[in-house]
Amino acid sequence: MNALVIAALLLVLLTFSYQVGWSRSRKLAGNKSQHLHSRPIYHGVLAALFAVLPAMVIIGIWALFSEQVTNSFIVAQLPPETAQLSQMQLQAAIARVKAIASGYGVVGEPSATEVVAAQVFASYQQISFLAVLAAAAAIGAGGLFWAQRRIGPRLRARTEVEIFVRIALMACSAVAIVTTLGIVLSLLSDALRFFSFINPLDFFFGTTWNPRFQSAGTGSAGEYGLLPLLWGTVMISIIAMLVAVPIGLMSAIYLSQYADERVRNVVKPIIEVLAGIPTIVYGFFALVTVGPFFAAAGDAVGIDINATSALTAGVVMGIMIIPFISSLSDDIIAQVPRAMRDGSLGLGATQSETIRNVLLPAALPGIVGAVLLAVSRAIGETMIVVLAAGNSPVLRFNPAEPTSTVTVSIVNQLTGDADFTSPQSLVAFALGLTLFAMTLLLNVMALYIVRKFREQYE
Amino acid sequence: MTDTLLSAASPGSRNREQVRKGLRRRHRSEVLFRWAGILSIVAALGFVAILFGMILSKGMPSFWQSTLHLEAYFDPELIEGGPQPQREDSNSDADYQRAYSNWQRAVTLSNWNTVVETAIRAQVPEFEIETGDLLDLVTTAARFQLRDQYFANPDVLGQTMPVSILGSANTDNWLKGTIDRSQPDARQQLAPETRQLADQFLEQGIIRFDFAGHIFTNVDSRSAPASAGLAGAFMGSLYMMMVVIVLAVPIGVASAVYLEEFAPKNRWTDLIEVNINNLAAVPSIVFGLLGAAVFINYFGLPRSAPIVGGLVLTLMTLPTIIIATRSSLRAVPPSLRQAALGLGASRNQTVFHHVLPMTFPGILTATIIGVAQALGETAPLLLIGMSAFIANIPSSPMDSATALPVQIYLWQGNENRNFFEARTSAAIIVLLGLMLMLNAIAIFLRSRLEKRA
Amino acid sequence: MDMIAGKIKLTSKTVDQSMNPLDVLERETRLSARDVTVHYGDKQALFGISIDIPDRAVTSFIGPSGCGKSTFLRCINRMNDTIEGARVGGSIKLDGDDVYDPNLDVVELRARVGMVFQKPNPFPKSIYENVAYGPKIHGLARSRTDLDEIVVSSLRKAGLFEEVKDRLNEPGTSLSGGQQQRLCIARAIAVGPQVILMDEPCSALDPIATAIIEELIDELRENYTIVIVTHSMQQAARVSQKTAFFHLGKLIEEGVTEDIFTNPEHKQTQDYIMGRIG
Repeated sequence: MNALVIAALLLVLLTFSYQVGWSRSRKLAGNKSQHLHSRPIYHGVLAALFAVLPAMVIIGIWALFSEQVTNSFIVAQLPPETAQLSQMQLQAAIARVKAIASGYGVVGEPSATEVVAAQVFASYQQISFLAVLAAAAAIGAGGLFWAQRRIGPRLRARTEVEIFVRIALMACSAVAIVTTLGIVLSLLSDALRFFSFINPLDFFFGTTWNPRFQSAGTGSAGEYGLLPLLWGTVMISIIAMLVAVPIGLMSAIYLSQYADERVRNVVKPIIEVLAGIPTIVYGFFALVTVGPFFAAAGDAVGIDINATSALTAGVVMGIMIIPFISSLSDDIIAQVPRAMRDGSLGLGATQSETIRNVLLPAALPGIVGAVLLAVSRAIGETMIVVLAAGNSPVLRFNPAEPTSTVTVSIVNQLTGDADFTSPQSLVAFALGLTLFAMTLLLNVMALYIVRKFREQYE
Repeated sequence: MTDTLLSAASPGSRNREQVRKGLRRRHRSEVLFRWAGILSIVAALGFVAILFGMILSKGMPSFWQSTLHLEAYFDPELIEGGPQPQREDSNSDADYQRAYSNWQRAVTLSNWNTVVETAIRAQVPEFEIETGDLLDLVTTAARFQLRDQYFANPDVLGQTMPVSILGSANTDNWLKGTIDRSQPDARQQLAPETRQLADQFLEQGIIRFDFAGHIFTNVDSRSAPASAGLAGAFMGSLYMMMVVIVLAVPIGVASAVYLEEFAPKNRWTDLIEVNINNLAAVPSIVFGLLGAAVFINYFGLPRSAPIVGGLVLTLMTLPTIIIATRSSLRAVPPSLRQAALGLGASRNQTVFHHVLPMTFPGILTATIIGVAQALGETAPLLLIGMSAFIANIPSSPMDSATALPVQIYLWQGNENRNFFEARTSAAIIVLLGLMLMLNAIAIFLRSRLEKRA
Repeated sequence: MDMIAGKIKLTSKTVDQSMNPLDVLERETRLSARDVTVHYGDKQALFGISIDIPDRAVTSFIGPSGCGKSTFLRCINRMNDTIEGARVGGSIKLDGDDVYDPNLDVVELRARVGMVFQKPNPFPKSIYENVAYGPKIHGLARSRTDLDEIVVSSLRKAGLFEEVKDRLNEPGTSLSGGQQQRLCIARAIAVGPQVILMDEPCSALDPIATAIIEELIDELRENYTIVIVTHSMQQAARVSQKTAFFHLGKLIEEGVTEDIFTNPEHKQTQDYIMGRIG
């Protein structure tokens, strides 16, 4: 209700001040002897900005702090012993007063102090609301007055509005920077808190991962060893690349060099469908179809393959990455100048000779970049491994056995009741930091290589 | 230079012989290479086919679920609390609320299971079966269903009404054969009598496979898996997508416009550029960690709330929107800008009046791609507590909620695998259907807009 | 005119540097095209081209841009096959073998008919590997020394050896534009072709590099049949013995270079030579 009133009033202020600015500049413009720098619209917008922005700041401040102010006001009205109550009881007492004041009432007879407090509170509420409105209106009017005083033929209203717009745009583009800062700072600070429990050396070089049964007294540092998780991540990524790179690269080559346009127009979008499927769906696919298939296939030839294993997760992740590799390599192969291909064909090379000996070597840096990007995707992928890798954080080298990854452990440690004080949940941030550093390194390298590659043919 | 010509390998027969000799081998390797390409494509297409085939074949039957069509008698002997209290009888709002909630409590605590039982037994008066086994036939939510029907219309007290009650998950498994029917009794979830009754009802047409609309209208349920639905998750996702659209699109477009049209080319802009490219490749789970540490732990926003999920997804989607918007801004020919600037328009006017409108289809596509990507994202949501079991439809973005992909995650982990494998696939069909719809809208709007331009 | 050129066999095996322009009429015909047409999709690019190309001489194709001269050149070694939607009709015979015979192997054809492109396009490999590429894929060298020999002699023939002999392992792209183009010529020669097609080989080069390439072409014609497409009439006059003028996809006039330039039969040819058609 109040919010609606405020919004309506702000809107009124906005239109009014715009109108004032507009009509005043129109009046000036009507006087032919004077030539205005800016069109009336900009004078209107400028006046509206001057009026509404300060008013919004006032209301914003009130919105931020009103809750605390109101509550302490009610507590002040109630008998002094109320302040000694526990947090929950205090909240209940405050809620009762608010309920009486709003006219909704409470079950049973309210106490005399409560009724008095409610009356005072009700009038306080009205007064404070009106006071804030008045303050906002006053400062808005002041801004408007000042703005309309400034209106004149020489006022560069448009320039000022444009500067404002530009500042707003710049602020938006800073969001990306702030996000990165936020990621780095939050990961770093919580990881540091984790390292106050556990020696970083034991974390980075430990070979046992067993956070749950860590007892504070023994402080056996090997419990948070990163290596089993890291190895699981690396093993799954390698398997994924073994699936994705040949299939993705060969399909890109076939589609761009051999297939005619009709085939390309049908096949390309279908392969790209794979890129749009949420990873949870792949995870389910791995768990329900691929895993049991591998297990059965293993049985048939007498190999023991676990349904949830590095193999299952890796293969399905590879499928997920196929379109990523194929569309990136397609772009990159397309950047190799046609003249180079013609040169080879003109010498009598077959198409596959041209592709293997000329096209691919020329595109190699770009393809390496694409693969690095794909690897960074693979190590950061979560849902497939959560569902299909088997969640068994033991250092093992057989891909047919269950394993675990960095991302899986982040999920395990931070779902449920995260309290942000125990090493059990803080370790997620140390893992996150490791993951972030690894992907950042890969991305920077990949982007650099791809950029160099592009420059080469521009 | 002339003398060197004398040592020339004479062009002609010797070379031609050599070339001919190698031709067969070379053409064979050409064919092999070609086949490697074809096989790769077949493999990629095969994966798409298997994936969709698996999801559709498992999920589609789940949309038709065994339902009992019964006559239920709303017995005044069983349903307590009498008629619904009226407003006039009470003094204040609070008093009325109290009377009303007392009535609600009485109705709720009535023995609705007996109402259900009576309704089933009425169909087969002769059949001997224990009450527990009989009630295994229907979903445990059957009693709540009748109760809610009664709350919606308390006038039916003392009347007999036709009702449709969902069969239990185990009944559904039995009748659809998603559980092995040849298993011995000990391995079956239902008692032999219950199974017999289910088969009999199916034959008599009392149990029919009705379209399971409740998948779309019910919330998740642990105690009554048969009636679990996606409504809560859907609303959670919807709120998050609203947050994403409201925040990510304006901020993303604004920063793209700034970077592409206004920013001076200097170190700072380079930094932002590199930063955005990297942000686009940061694993989504890291954004989840950011959300947990900053939004929940530092700013104290509620756990499990779509607002937090929306914020996290916004940050995740921003780079996508910025990069796509920038590339469509870059595609606007510079001549257009020069023409506008040449007419005396300011840079701002040029950008906002002439350049930006041309990129509208591009921005729209970017937005939809970004939203679709956000819609399917799971991992970061797990870290901000959206994987908690929520039994309500969230009424605002501040309420606890879950999301469609998280619901899929939760359902695939349910113990009743026989039932939930199909139900999870059904949820995936809904999710993929939504994404498909988004993309179809994007393609449609894009072609419309481009035709107009 | 082409009737005479095609049949008379009066070959002087001894190389004559100052070849009489009219000798071209007496050279053996290496390539003969009859009624060649090309369509790109629905668009027809060439209309019934018939021409004979003499052995061991330079034939140049001139005409305004878009006249089809490059298109026709690319028909000779079937480079048009690599363009989607291109269809070629009519017949082109190389020493009596139909180039468009379905049984003919394109790979073998292109080993016989080398090509040099408009822009120098060395592969992203070393200078040595660039030249060795053709012999390697075709299996022309039996040993490493064989290959070395082919590379060196090809570079010599292209007049590049002295300039690059100390840096054969540097990338081909490190050379200047003119050197790159000579590298591409060396690359084509290394396969031992009978015919070398050159598609505006000097259009991306400065005048000095152009002059060097023109000298080279003049030397090469003693051992190869050379067909050159050029947009520069001066170049055609300088290097070629036979000239064909194309306009709007049709072959308007062909003949001994001197005749075409001094005494063109057709109005369009006159207009082009006088600079009236762009």
